[in-house]
Amino acid sequence: MTKKGNKFSLFLGCTIPLKMPQLEKAFRDVASILGVELKEMEGVSCCPEPVSLQSLNIDTWLTLGARNLAIAEKMGLDVLTICSGCYETLKTVSVLLGEDPEHLKKINEILKKINYEYTGKITVYHFVEILTQPEWLEKMKSLTIKPLDDLNLAVHYGCHLIRPSKIMRFDHPEKPEKIDLILQTLGAKTIDFANKLECCGYCARLQEEIGEKLVEDKMTELCELEEEVDALIAVCPACVTQYDRKEKIIARRTGKELNIPVLYLPEIMAIALGVALEDLNLSTRSVKPNKLIEKLTT
Amino acid sequence: MSEMIKKNVNDLDLNFRYEIAKKIGAKSLLKCIQCGVCSSGCTVTEYVDLQPHRVVASCLLGLKEEVLSSKAIWTCSLCHRCTERCPKNVDYSFILALLRNMAAREGKIPKEYSSTVEVIYDNGFVVPYTEGMKKNIDRRRERMGLPEIVPPNLDDIRFIINETGLGDLIIKKEDDK
Ligand code: SF4
Ligand code: SF4
Repeated sequence: MTKKGNKFSLFLGCTIPLKMPQLEKAFRDVASILGVELKEMEGVSCCPEPVSLQSLNIDTWLTLGARNLAIAEKMGLDVLTICSGCYETLKTVSVLLGEDPEHLKKINEILKKINYEYTGKITVYHFVEILTQPEWLEKMKSLTIKPLDDLNLAVHYGCHLIRPSKIMRFDHPEKPEKIDLILQTLGAKTIDFANKLECCGYCARLQEEIGEKLVEDKMTELCELEEEVDALIAVCPACVTQYDRKEKIIARRTGKELNIPVLYLPEIMAIALGVALEDLNLSTRSVKPNKLIEKLTT
Repeated sequence: MSEMIKKNVNDLDLNFRYEIAKKIGAKSLLKCIQCGVCSSGCTVTEYVDLQPHRVVASCLLGLKEEVLSSKAIWTCSLCHRCTERCPKNVDYSFILALLRNMAAREGKIPKEYSSTVEVIYDNGFVVPYTEGMKKNIDRRRERMGLPEIVPPNLDDIRFIINETGLGDLIIKKEDDK
C-alpha cells in the first residue's frame, strides 16, 4: 500500500503477549481494520530487553537480537514492533551492526553454528512510523466510526521511541508529533505540557523513588491543568504499567487526587475504529477509564 | 564520591579510556570537552554519586576502580537524553552500558539485573513461560482469540548466552548457591 508496504513480520516481544495480551488484541484489531497484514514470527525470543541484558553483556544482547532479526529476514519481511523496548533493541542492533561489518561477521560466526544468519537486509519499524504515513492516516480517517471529538488527550512518547535520534530516526527528538498526529486524525485534541518528554522511570531499577518522583511530577501537572485531561496515551507496555500502577500508589501516599487513566495507543484507536468496548478489557487498569468511556458513548 | 580523590599518578589506569573506546559504539568517549550538558539534562542527576560528565572525566583520567565501583553506572533510567544532547556526539548512555559490562565481568552485578538474565536463560522470554504459568497464559490468549505462542528453541538461546560469555556469570552464581 505505501512504499514501506503493508505486510510485516510482527515482533510481539514478551511483556505484551505474555503479561498484557489485551494490548496485543487491541493492536491486532486495529491492524486488521486498517488492512495491515501481519505474519507471525515463530521461535523468536525476548528482543532481548534493553536494560539487563545490554548492561551485563552487549555481545549477548546483540547476538540474541540478531537471531530475532534473522528470523524476519528468512521470512523476507520488514519487522513491525509494538513495544518501545523491542523497538529500541531491534533497531539499535540493526543500526550498530549495519555500521560495523566486522562485528556483524563475529556475530554471524556464532549464529551460523545454530543455523541462523543475519545480513542486514530488513528494516525495523515501530507501528506508529507506519501508520503515520499519509496513506494510512487517510484510511484511518475514513474508517473512523466513533470520532474522539470531545477528548482532550496527553501523549507520553517515552524515551526509547525518540532517543537517541541518530539511531532511532523516529521523529524530532525534542518535538515529536507522530502520536499526536494519529490522535488528531481520529478527532481528538492533544495538549502540550511541560513534562511531555520526561521519562517514566521504569528502567531505573536501582531506586524505586526515581520512578515515583517522575510519575508524580507528570501526573500532578496533568491533573492541575485548566482543561481536564481525559487520558494519558502511551505506546509501551512498561510506560503504561508504570503510570497506571504508580499513579494509584502516589495518590494514596500523598493524598493528591490523581486519577487520569492511562491507555495504550491502539486501545484508543480501536475504540475510534469501532471495536466493541467489551473486547478491549480496559477494566484491568488500576485507574478505570470510566469517565472517558461515558464521554464516548453518550 | 563528591569528596576530592587523591591518587598517585602511577595508580591511574591510563589505558582505561582506550579499553572502552575500542568497543562497538564507544569511540566517541575520547571527544568529550567536559561541557556538562549530559549532566544538566540527566533524568537521574540528583540521585547519582557521580554525574555523567564526571564519569566521563574519570574514564579519561584512568580512575577505573572508582568508575567501576560507582553506583552511578547502574543508576540510569536509560532515557538517552545525554546521548541526544551531547554537542560532541559522545554516546554516553551506550558507554555507560559498556562500563556496566566491565563491572559485571568483575562480578559487581546488582541483583535487580542478574535475575532478569536468569529468567531469559530459563524461558527465552523475560516473563516465565513454563508449566503452570504457560497454561494460564495460553488459556488467557485463547479466550481473547490470539494465536498460539511458538517459543524459541531454548538450546539456541542458551548457546548464544554461553558463547558470548554471559553464561559464565550465571554459572558463577550457581556455584555460589
Ligand atoms: S555532553 Fe558530551 S561533551 Fe559535554 S560533558 Fe557530556 S559527554 Fe562530554
Ligand atoms: S540515559 Fe542515563 S545517564 Fe543518560 S541522561 Fe538518561 S538517566 Fe542520565
